[in-house]
Amino acid sequence: MGTVHARSLDPLPMHGPEFGIQADDIDTTVIEQEPKQEVLENKHVVVQRVHIDGLGRTNEEFLTYEIADVFRARNLIDVMRKSHEARQKLLRLGIFRKVEVVIDTSQGEDALPNGLDVTFEVTELRRMTGSYNTMVGNNEGSMVLGLKLPNVFGRAEKLTFQFSYGTKETSYGLSFFKPQPGHFERNVSINVYKVTGQFPWSSLRETDRGVSAEFSFPVWKTSQTLKWEGVWRELGCLARTASFAVREESGHSLKSSLSHAMVIDTRNSSILPKKGGLLKIHQELAGYTGGDASFLKEDFEIQLNRSLFWDSVLSASLWGGLLLPIGDKPTSIADRFYLGGPTSIRGFSMYSMGPQSEGDYLGGEAYWAGGLHLYTPLPFRPGRGGFGDLFRTHFFLNAGNLCNLNYGEGPQAHLKKLAECIRWSYGLGIVLRLGNIARLELNYCIPMGVQSGDRICDGVQFGAGIRFL
Amino acid sequence: MSLAAEAFVSQMAAAEPWPENATLYQPLKDDQILLSDCASSLAVQAYLRMCCLPVQVVCKANAEYMSPSGRIPFIHVGNQVVSELGPIVQFTKAKGHSLSDGLDDVQRAEMKAYMELVNNMLLTAELYIQWCDDATAAEISRPRYSSPYSWPLNNILAYQKQWEVRRKMNAIGWGGKTLEQVYEDVSQCCQALSQRLGTQPYFFNKQPTELDALVFGHLFTILTTRLTSTELAERIKSYSNLLSFCRRIEQNYFEGKSS
Repeated sequence: MGTVHARSLDPLPMHGPEFGIQADDIDTTVIEQEPKQEVLENKHVVVQRVHIDGLGRTNEEFLTYEIADVFRARNLIDVMRKSHEARQKLLRLGIFRKVEVVIDTSQGEDALPNGLDVTFEVTELRRMTGSYNTMVGNNEGSMVLGLKLPNVFGRAEKLTFQFSYGTKETSYGLSFFKPQPGHFERNVSINVYKVTGQFPWSSLRETDRGVSAEFSFPVWKTSQTLKWEGVWRELGCLARTASFAVREESGHSLKSSLSHAMVIDTRNSSILPKKGGLLKIHQELAGYTGGDASFLKEDFEIQLNRSLFWDSVLSASLWGGLLLPIGDKPTSIADRFYLGGPTSIRGFSMYSMGPQSEGDYLGGEAYWAGGLHLYTPLPFRPGRGGFGDLFRTHFFLNAGNLCNLNYGEGPQAHLKKLAECIRWSYGLGIVLRLGNIARLELNYCIPMGVQSGDRICDGVQFGAGIRFL
Repeated sequence: MSLAAEAFVSQMAAAEPWPENATLYQPLKDDQILLSDCASSLAVQAYLRMCCLPVQVVCKANAEYMSPSGRIPFIHVGNQVVSELGPIVQFTKAKGHSLSDGLDDVQRAEMKAYMELVNNMLLTAELYIQWCDDATAAEISRPRYSSPYSWPLNNILAYQKQWEVRRKMNAIGWGGKTLEQVYEDVSQCCQALSQRLGTQPYFFNKQPTELDALVFGHLFTILTTRLTSTELAERIKSYSNLLSFCRRIEQNYFEGKSS
């Protein structure tokens, strides 16, 4: 740009016919204000051209679905609104770092007097991003390598790879995600993985190597997912002192299962929501597509939130599940449910409730758990408007039960079994919200209804996680 | 296990008498168990019968993975889990039952030497024939080993086991041997055993010891197991005193008593 000399009070000449303000018009602008505003809203415009600048490897036809709506705008405010929505849709694809919208009048020979050109100026994400971390903890060190390739073939496919090489164990995961053009909520995902886990509460070590294919699609207000998974599971004892019941579960098995999940989520946030509800129903059928494991597993999760007076929120949640073996083989410890700990029934040690043998918890085939919380802001509201908003105090009441079922007695006996020997706890604590994914809790808990064999953690208990009761 | 831990376990073991519900675990008898595992398991069963200790044999498909050392067989006695003949002999000794108390030091050393011979020669030969001979591996070992599992896990586990055994054979120098050489080694081992046995009823004259149990386990299993060729069984049959030795132990300890 050249130097601009302001030698007079004349306004600088503006380029662009949409303004058209000349020095002569200044005095009359005030009078023309109201009609001009009307003009903006009522003026009929035609969007002649919508195009995207800055595309590299992205397929342009793939993006037409996202921006097609802009053509239907009829006045300027509508154009601005639809362009904003299109911008959100483009960002949601996860392939652009930045999207900017420029609305201009049409140029060129076929330009109509009320024609507009909308341009989306985008910056694509880099072809490949990588990350490298080292992690140390629990007598083990490991090196974690992550690779992400967004937009591999130009249609918002994403390929991620993570590899963790440790002194004790190695694990990896490769995932490919492809949305349907024009309908981002309908997508397919294929994963290959190997994960190892150590579960000291059961003295169990588990290594899973698996493949899964997942198909998600929305139906009305719900989100549905269909998934096939094939996993080679290897179970072993974590220590020589493991109980014989856990030792009997050691060995290899193959699980091939079909599962379906339905989620309705109307909450305004997944961590510390203020209103709305969540309903999640999941079922899994294993054994009919091959493999050794054969069972039907159902579980559900319900959560309801309601804002009360004084910025406090009342939240109620209910979890439950049932595992039915099909055939005469008993269920495997890797499929059963576990309960207890700072993320479910507070006041009990992690997954240390229910059937056990010599101190090793074996899990149960049926469970239910309920929680009632009252979240309030911190007393005296320190740090209000900033850091203090991440914290909340909560008063809670948790209850639940986990047991095995004696089959052949009918549903009445099952319900009766679950209603006996209920464990419950109450207390209060502080919750810290971490981003939009996780939360930390520090609670003072009083466990009640403790059955023999349960391990409790009364008093102060710390918990970190994603999914809390 | 470290020495201190072993000593501690022996102390704990010595405290309790042999229970009624002691169990021995091995792979499934009809479809899964292989020659080497069957031999080891039979040796332990013979030893426990010679000690007059009751034990119940339970067949489980995942017995190999249940075992603390990964080897068959293992016994579950009270709270203790002990695998393989050597540690089981020590375990029973801690409880006050032993077959080799009457031996002097020279004889004990000799017994240990012969047991090492059987383990290094006979057991290794069995493993070689099962997994390194392609015909046997394809027809018998791999199908049997993987029978409890479904596809594709059965193939993965069978090949994994085969590679593991072949690596081990290479490590101890048996990788380059031919089947004929292995049969020769077996013959030589049997000759040494036959010479030591002579005309006595058991290796150390009147009373059986753990060496007798071990030799019986291996020889009896080889004689009664169907392989792709009968060569191995024929080599053993050429030593008649070993044959009568096997028959004698079978009659005294396995027939007439319900298994």
